Amino acid sequence: MQTSRPLALFVFAALAVQPASGHHSTSAIFHDDKRITVTGTLTKVDWINPHIFIFLDGGTGTAVEPWRVQGNPPQWWRNLGVVRADFAKAIGQKVVVEALPSQDGSRYGYLRKITFANGDVLEDARGEGAR
Amino acid sequence: MTRFMCMAVLALGTATVGAQSPAPDPRSPIPDLSGTWSTFPGVNASAPLRRASGGTEEIRRLDRAALRGVTAEVPGVQPWTDAPTYKPEHLPKVRELDALQSKTDPVFYCGKPGVPRIGPPRRIVQLPSEIIFFYEDMSGDPYRIVPTDGRPHRADANPSYYGDSVGRWEGSVLVVDVRNFVEDTWFGEKGYFHTDAMRVTERLWRNGENLVWQATVDDPNVLMRPWTLPPRVIRPSDAPLEESPPCREQDGPLLRNNDHHDQR
Repeated sequence: MQTSRPLALFVFAALAVQPASGHHSTSAIFHDDKRITVTGTLTKVDWINPHIFIFLDGGTGTAVEPWRVQGNPPQWWRNLGVVRADFAKAIGQKVVVEALPSQDGSRYGYLRKITFANGDVLEDARGEGAR
Repeated sequence: MTRFMCMAVLALGTATVGAQSPAPDPRSPIPDLSGTWSTFPGVNASAPLRRASGGTEEIRRLDRAALRGVTAEVPGVQPWTDAPTYKPEHLPKVRELDALQSKTDPVFYCGKPGVPRIGPPRRIVQLPSEIIFFYEDMSGDPYRIVPTDGRPHRADANPSYYGDSVGRWEGSVLVVDVRNFVEDTWFGEKGYFHTDAMRVTERLWRNGENLVWQATVDDPNVLMRPWTLPPRVIRPSDAPLEESPPCREQDGPLLRNNDHHDQR
């Protein structure tokens, strides 16, 4: 059975944007419907697959503890013109990170937004409409 | 949900969604496939990036022009289906692997995707007697050397993830026969396992400035019949190849459910 042309074209188009790499969903580890704000000093940037990691000493309150924050894959950042140096230049400086909290309650999150000490912002703006 | 997915696998396995288009003229001279070709976007490809710097703000989205040429008629496309048709006795295994993909898919854990899952090459260097495919992949950056001068398959090659390739020209289409695979890979993300009897035929040709890639998988041990994948149309790219960052999966022990998103 051959489907109509519109369906064939839809399938074709969908495949054209098929990602080249993937992973579990954030909902498998993080609370997709919650956000935390972690403020602290950026200590390390791991530009690795399948997801980047940044590390900071800080917290959601006054306590200063080591935090680990996972971000989108290196290829996503690369395709949008962001490289490791855009993060690494802030090592040793204060950053504010908005993240999805880990379901296990550990000091672990998934990066949605980072604000650097100079006011620069990088944000995964999904769901932000036309902003 | 699982039951629905299984029904979908069965249904899609028999539905033809692509029709054969007129083939390129066999009298055409051998084209030059050399070039750097676009990669596909990474995970969360639809997510835009908001970047604010120095008092200015911009929203960056992936270049939708990557779709250019995709909806046009592409001569030479083979009829394809959305999914392979497994022999009935193998369907339970496919269903189980698919349902547990985030735990069972080797690619999730930095494994090599193999052929055809790695897709079209990122760069092609075409020489008189062989063609070299280069890839960027999070498992590493493999290359494949495809002889086109009539050399047979290597008799002494070990089974491998990317197999042993031999190419030939059918008019203006490069046809690559790939065999001698290990059994560790899936040939599609929905639990499409295979045996070492798998053979893959890749077809690559030019459509204007674009490259077209389409593959057919055959494994008589597990498939009812060969499966031809949907074609991919790839536009030229100015972005140079880069060494992929190392892959270190760390989340496996933390997974609370089997949620995952499609990859390839």
